Amino acid sequence: MSVIEYDVIVIGAGAAGLTAAAWLAKQKLRVALVTAGEPTACLSTGCIDVCSRDDQPLAGIAGLPEPHPFHLVSTKTLRESLDDFRQTMAETDMPYKGTLEENRLVLSAIGTFKTTCLVPATMQASPQSVDEKIRLVTFAGLKDFYPGYILSRLPGASFSVYDAGVSTTMGIAANFEDRAFLETFLLWLERQNIRENKIAFPAVLGLESASFVLKQIEYRLERPVFEIPTLPPSMPGRRLFNAMKDHLRRQGGVIYWNWPVVGVEKSGRQIEAVTTGVQGRPNSLNARAFILATGSFVGGGLCAKRDRIVEKVFDLPVSAPENRDAWFDQDYFSLNHGIGQAGIAVDEAFCPQGSPWNNIFVCGSILAYTEALKNGCGHGFAIATGRAAAQSCLERLR
Amino acid sequence: MTFEHCIRCTICVENCPVFRVQPEFPGPKQAGPDAQRFRIGREKSMDDWVLLCSQCKRCEMACPCGVEPAQIILRVQQRYGLEHPHTPAHLLFANNYYLSALGSMTAPLANQIAATKIGKKILGQMGIATYIPFPKFSFQTLSKEKKIRNRGNRKIAFFYGCFINFYRPDIGRKIMRMLQSFSIDVVLPPQWCCGLPALGNGNLTLARTFARKNVASLSNYIDAGYDIVYSCTSCGLCLLQDYQGILEIPEAKKIAENCYDLHEYLLKLIAEREIKPDFKAVNRTLAYHIPCHLRALRIGYPAADLMKSIPGLDCTILDDACCGLSGSYGFKKTNEAAALHLGERAVSLVRKTGATAIASDCGSCRMQMGGLSGMDAFDPAEILCESLGIRNTK
Repeated sequence: MSVIEYDVIVIGAGAAGLTAAAWLAKQKLRVALVTAGEPTACLSTGCIDVCSRDDQPLAGIAGLPEPHPFHLVSTKTLRESLDDFRQTMAETDMPYKGTLEENRLVLSAIGTFKTTCLVPATMQASPQSVDEKIRLVTFAGLKDFYPGYILSRLPGASFSVYDAGVSTTMGIAANFEDRAFLETFLLWLERQNIRENKIAFPAVLGLESASFVLKQIEYRLERPVFEIPTLPPSMPGRRLFNAMKDHLRRQGGVIYWNWPVVGVEKSGRQIEAVTTGVQGRPNSLNARAFILATGSFVGGGLCAKRDRIVEKVFDLPVSAPENRDAWFDQDYFSLNHGIGQAGIAVDEAFCPQGSPWNNIFVCGSILAYTEALKNGCGHGFAIATGRAAAQSCLERLR
Repeated sequence: MTFEHCIRCTICVENCPVFRVQPEFPGPKQAGPDAQRFRIGREKSMDDWVLLCSQCKRCEMACPCGVEPAQIILRVQQRYGLEHPHTPAHLLFANNYYLSALGSMTAPLANQIAATKIGKKILGQMGIATYIPFPKFSFQTLSKEKKIRNRGNRKIAFFYGCFINFYRPDIGRKIMRMLQSFSIDVVLPPQWCCGLPALGNGNLTLARTFARKNVASLSNYIDAGYDIVYSCTSCGLCLLQDYQGILEIPEAKKIAENCYDLHEYLLKLIAEREIKPDFKAVNRTLAYHIPCHLRALRIGYPAADLMKSIPGLDCTILDDACCGLSGSYGFKKTNEAAALHLGERAVSLVRKTGATAIASDCGSCRMQMGGLSGMDAFDPAEILCESLGIRNTK
């Protein structure tokens, strides 16, 4: 039984799925997004990595090996998708800055620098070299952040510890939403006699109003302030996810939470519906087209069996090194594990190659040859391919 | 899925409303799958903090691996209930059905006593929080209504739930009139508390007693060709999930297969072209606070889809915040601070939207949000009735 007929159903709530769904909803299509759970995007640093293998994202993309799916996205689509993303975020508490012309650095929780393209407002002032003078402010008992790592790598850094009464990322972030807590904290901070040029915090400055909190601190302490992304639970990742999800809903899209697809209804060369097992009766959703954005292994889109790799929703043909011996490199930390190339190979319309169905479009890290870690293709790649797959899907439906 | 499927990604922790504001609670990951490893033996459940979980199920909705932290904790809460004496507050709220029945029978008097200073003091002594006013008992309960015969194709057995029955029977009557206007037969089958309050207060035996009675009654109606329709999302979740799950009621599957949320049911009838509601303009700016248990039903937000068809209605969906009351959870002194904190956060999100009134399917959410904000809080069914021109005759 299906209650509503949708034009498009997007499977997966990561940056790729949310981008595709929101863009299609904006084109006045009836769009539903179904997801098994919340995406790994929630656990991310919130930074938008387009292609971090080079100082310039565009040059980095141009240098990617031939089968890489980034080559299927035109520069125009890439620009438009990231412009739209910045526009969306500019309407929230958390604007993003950065350009496709140049990557920039963000200080990580272990004192190294992460190369990325677009960064949230709270990381704008992140240092670009180890020489900057930074006062690190951390919180008593916070077990997901160790200032020692940063102090050992940045000679000009020092630190202070504030007792927020709670010792978890979520708890401290909740406290920062409280104006009285913020005021008490600011008074303490003003007494710290900070001489460094910048003040750094683990990313706990609130959930809904983090950039407001940041501005308050900058105003009172009269110097730039920035956040350092932490281990999960990651506030910047959650802020990003919440904003993208709310944007989809404002465009008229519908979201079904905890809706793992367990079955597919098909007829001829078309997928007609996806189903899930809700308590009692099966629940299915019909649509004219489907966008698969379920992510790679960590996201849950792919699953490695003993002899082959399986795509979990439609059982699409997976492109991967055939011989299992080629799946893994001898070096554990190598970026060249063959299994990293596994995924769905698509044609220029983002339709899976060798699939019996003609109304499926694929985007995000489930695409074959993405190698997200090795190539530094993160949310930026997801946003660009999400947009491109959605455009292709719209063309097909019209 | 078992606790062993947990990959410790902490997405459940990010979603736990209690964890944000109650430092005593270690969060769903630790209280659920992590601690489960130590609960396999026969040792007693010593962790008092298991009672701090409000069973909002947000962790289960968020988990990408299909682990059910809330379900794991719910089972430990029952075990805790067996091994420890129950506090007066737990006993009272587990027996909420009988308490409410008594309150309704003596409605004017009971309402007055509950509102007095002495009344509040007594409640406080029993460990019951009074930061928002107790809902008012209604003498004319919905169960006293007559059934509606239309000779229509569709027959509904309405599971109205305690909140509508004892406190807001006017909403129940409106829903009945609305269904009547669609030429649907409506009966009110004999029914008891769904059992969720008993379950939430660690009283598995009492919950099972309620569930057995309800299943026996509803099952007869299903056999006679009725569809079961509920309007309270928490009752619905209990009927669909807990009867088959923790309560292990035989025949529960049959109930689940024939049981619909009111708005889900209306959408289904519209899709099947059986009804064609003529929605008239309603000029309101609403914030639709999604109850946690509506999310947990995994049917989308059907009332939001219906309200989209109402001209003039501006309705913003808010599904990130739990109101904090969670049935009887926030009414306990031990949870008062957390419930208040969460409620104020949920209200602040409502205010950000510029809405002038709140809509929510859950009576307990409406009590909390309405009580803390001073705004009107409607059942979405009331908005539909307003749009369809259905008023209460009484």
